[in-house]
Amino acid sequence: MTSADYLPILILILIAAPFAGIAILLPSVLGPKNPNRMKQEAIESGMIPFADARRRFPVQYYMVAVLFIIFDIEVIFLFPWAVSLNQLKIFGLIEMGVFLGILLIGYLYVWKKGAFEWE
Amino acid sequence: MSLPTLDFSLILPELVVLITALLVLIADLLWPRAASRGREQAPAVLALAGLILAGLLTLLAGEWSGATLQGMLVADALARYLNLVVLLAAALGLLLSWSYLPHFSTQRSEYYALYLLAVAGMLFLGKSIELITLFVSLEILSIALYVLTGFHRGQLAGGEAALKYFLLGAFSSGFLLYGAALFYAATGATRLADIAAQNAGGFYMLAGLALFLVGLGFKLAVAPFHMWAPDAYQGAPTPVTAFMSVGTKAAALVALFRVVQAAGSVPVGVWATALAFLSLLTMTLGNLAALRQSSLKRMLAYSSIAHAGYLLVGVVAGTAAGFDAVLFYLFAYAFMNIGAFAIASLLERPGFYAVQDAGIHAADGLFGRRPWLAVAMAMFMLSLAGIPPLAGFFGKLYLFAAAVESGWAWLAVAGVLNSVISAYYYLRVVVGMFMAEPSASAHLRLPLPASATLAVALTALGTLLFGLLATPWFQGISR
Amino acid sequence: MDLTTFPLLSLILWLPVLGALALFLFADARSIRVTALVVTLLDFAASLLLLPRWTPDGSMHYQEVLAWAAGLDFRYHLGVDGISLWLVLLTTLLGPIVVLFSWRNVTENVRSFFFLLLIQQAGMLGVFLSLDLILFFIFWEFTLIPMYFLIGQWGSGRRVYAATKFFLYTMAGSALMLVVILLLYFQTGSFNWLTLKEAGLDRTLQFWGFLTFALAFAIKVPMFPFHTWLPDAHVEAPTAGSVILAGVLLKMGVYGFLRFCLPLFPQATAIFLPWIAGLAIVGILYGSLTALVQKDVKSLVAYSSIAHLGFVMLGVASMNEQGLSGAVLQSVNHGLSTGALFLMVGMIYDRRHTRLLAEFGGLWRQMPVYSALFMVVVMASVGLPGLNGFVGEFTILLGAFRVNPLWAALGTLGVILAAWYLLAAVRGLLHGPLDNPANQHLADLDRREVLVLAPLVLLFFLIGLFPALFFDKITPAVELLLRDVGPVIGR
Repeated sequence: MTSADYLPILILILIAAPFAGIAILLPSVLGPKNPNRMKQEAIESGMIPFADARRRFPVQYYMVAVLFIIFDIEVIFLFPWAVSLNQLKIFGLIEMGVFLGILLIGYLYVWKKGAFEWE
Repeated sequence: MSLPTLDFSLILPELVVLITALLVLIADLLWPRAASRGREQAPAVLALAGLILAGLLTLLAGEWSGATLQGMLVADALARYLNLVVLLAAALGLLLSWSYLPHFSTQRSEYYALYLLAVAGMLFLGKSIELITLFVSLEILSIALYVLTGFHRGQLAGGEAALKYFLLGAFSSGFLLYGAALFYAATGATRLADIAAQNAGGFYMLAGLALFLVGLGFKLAVAPFHMWAPDAYQGAPTPVTAFMSVGTKAAALVALFRVVQAAGSVPVGVWATALAFLSLLTMTLGNLAALRQSSLKRMLAYSSIAHAGYLLVGVVAGTAAGFDAVLFYLFAYAFMNIGAFAIASLLERPGFYAVQDAGIHAADGLFGRRPWLAVAMAMFMLSLAGIPPLAGFFGKLYLFAAAVESGWAWLAVAGVLNSVISAYYYLRVVVGMFMAEPSASAHLRLPLPASATLAVALTALGTLLFGLLATPWFQGISR
Repeated sequence: MDLTTFPLLSLILWLPVLGALALFLFADARSIRVTALVVTLLDFAASLLLLPRWTPDGSMHYQEVLAWAAGLDFRYHLGVDGISLWLVLLTTLLGPIVVLFSWRNVTENVRSFFFLLLIQQAGMLGVFLSLDLILFFIFWEFTLIPMYFLIGQWGSGRRVYAATKFFLYTMAGSALMLVVILLLYFQTGSFNWLTLKEAGLDRTLQFWGFLTFALAFAIKVPMFPFHTWLPDAHVEAPTAGSVILAGVLLKMGVYGFLRFCLPLFPQATAIFLPWIAGLAIVGILYGSLTALVQKDVKSLVAYSSIAHLGFVMLGVASMNEQGLSGAVLQSVNHGLSTGALFLMVGMIYDRRHTRLLAEFGGLWRQMPVYSALFMVVVMASVGLPGLNGFVGEFTILLGAFRVNPLWAALGTLGVILAAWYLLAAVRGLLHGPLDNPANQHLADLDRREVLVLAPLVLLFFLIGLFPALFFDKITPAVELLLRDVGPVIGR
């Protein structure tokens, strides 16, 4: 790989970075501003805040978040695999089968342990 | 694009262990919970079967040779012996867990699955000849061990141990990765063979090797990177301590050996001198600290640090003979150290939530109550101290011989003097068992489950006979 | 049975080990004792078989070599010459004697006790028979284990302290020996004693080698100032342990000097000989003077050991035929007479459970057999002509005189002191009025106890009257040693 190969990435950065910057800056310049006390309260779905936001919440949320990350990230492997499947042929199919099989065992484990039940 | 050739036959034992780990994970979930007692032990039986099968496959594989998986793993004589050491240690530790686990946890399948994953990590680490694979293997074994260390869920010490081990371990992984990055920066290769072929010199290689020494030194519990070890060894369930004190050392030493071989461009004198001083520091510090311990397990933890120092002597020698000696010592160490921890685990008393640590006097008067256990423990202690004709003596003989041969006589002198220091605290246990009255707390009847008894018997036999019998055929392993 | 090819030395060496394992076949104490006795007697008989075909040429006899290790070339190599022959016989003779002595007064853990005695015997025999340095080192270190347990479990008073001190002291002394053995190996390519003594080692290695070996051996002997473990170990050990300690274990140190220090490191020997002689003389005087003020008979005998071993080391330091032959024979003599003394102290201790001289007196009237035998033993120890001690001490002093008359003069002072403290013991125990009521009803020796002492007393006379029987086997070996080492030292 020569440095010329990185050019498209550079161009993408050059376009994307100013775009994001403009999208943040422009509304703050153009938008109307009428601050008052009610508006500066932390937003809590239209309710009046009644306690500190930093407090315990049920462990199930963690569970869901962690499980989501695990299974979601594994999906990333599926994309490059799908693109090159016609080259990998039957070998690739088996490999992915093994991979998904291991995931499936994890899934079974989590299921049987009752991690999906809210109560 | 041509597909890589994948020769799975060369990693068959590792695959067996991995598959067993997955099966164990779901084994007792698929059966109804209110099962018979026999079925409760299903994960343990399955795990043991997996380890034995992996061991048999290793033994029957004949002469292994050749790299596989695109030069990421190698199956050579070194890996073969590492396999045997790790599987032996794992099987012995498993026998201990069998009766020990019910005292502190009901989560059998998780325990055994993690245990097997740690084993798999060690086996892969021993076969790694590529930096990324090496790192991934190390992480597999480490993460499994972090969790296992904290398996005493009701016990504060267990949590502390796991947290400390995890934080420092993660830190050390960072060092190791940095070292790998510097190697890559110097040579543009991640395969150890390619790195060696490049023969690149300079600061990057030197710094990379230094960082590797730090990273692997953590895993080996080499001073001054040993801080986690006493807490982790003491807080972890005793069977886990027994297993990891041997297995991790073995795997990390093989990795260290492969890395220093690859960094051949760094002058031998530089890293060997650095390692020699680490070795001296480790054995001295471990032994001196062990002198003052009041907990049997913590004493054994420090003794284990000291033994990491002895083992490094063989790496310092830098010769094939040196590494033969390391492997020989690891076998001997597996027997005597796991045996000692086995008896420590029998002396612990199950409490309400957890298991109470055995104090240094827990074994007092043991000869009167369980003479054979006391005799076995005395053998482990004397062997750890390096008294002939036990296995530990022959191990040290080979280690120090390799050191003397390579001109490291002063390190051998330090080693034998350290053995004398260590004899004091090992003898303290022996004195208690044979020459003291039973302490008040020791009057409780000692449980003697069959599986743990088997483990003690095997380790005692190994300690007694390994040195005498293995000596004739043990040569030229790593050549 | 063809004795030339039969592995006689292996039989002698491993018989006690087999016997020790055989003890586990029996459950009752009596069968265990009988087994131990039979095994030790058989072992003694086997070692007597060495004598008939002995050719007194000073070389190594009955050699056995078996390849053993692969990585390092250490072998199972046994052999016996005139220097080790009598020490081997002494060891096997004391075996049945201590078993018989312990017959009744060891009641706890009988099996463990005799097991340890037997493997201790095997360990000591291994030390005397090994011609391979690693094999020697293995046996040398191994002997610590059984003795440690014997003192620690069956000892008296501060037994744990004494046992631990004994173990650590001797281990610390000999640990460095291993490194030197390895250095020798990598310089010469052999662990074999026969090869090494011809190797002609360089001066530096000789210097350090001698120092480390001598440290290990000097602690074992023990030479002043490395003797501090000995009074503790001897006094706290059970009688059988004291007998073995004094009788055989200490001789391992002397043997080490003769077998290894002198022939392997002759140049260093030349440098250090005066020091050894000096320390030996200090040991004689120190041991004697300290023995004089002991209130406990067993400590008295323990300190007398330091003095007597001082004599032996003076013989070694003379480095001539008389000195060395005398040192070997006096080692055996000391094993016999001090062994007997410890046995006799043990006999009254079993009766009275005290060893303080002040508690006794006038036993002559109450225990005539004991008293008569005690007199003989003391006289043997003092060196009365006609008994064994005289032969040994006289030969040593003769050798010392030829090197330096002052050494001999100071040594003779030690003989006088020995007579003084031992006769003080006789006076304290046997003479005077029988005024302590506790002693009024002491029983005299029974048949077993006489049987224990009889062979020792017979040997006192045998050695004392026919020393040539013994010297004619020792001298050729000593001559061979001197032929190799003498020129380097200039004697």
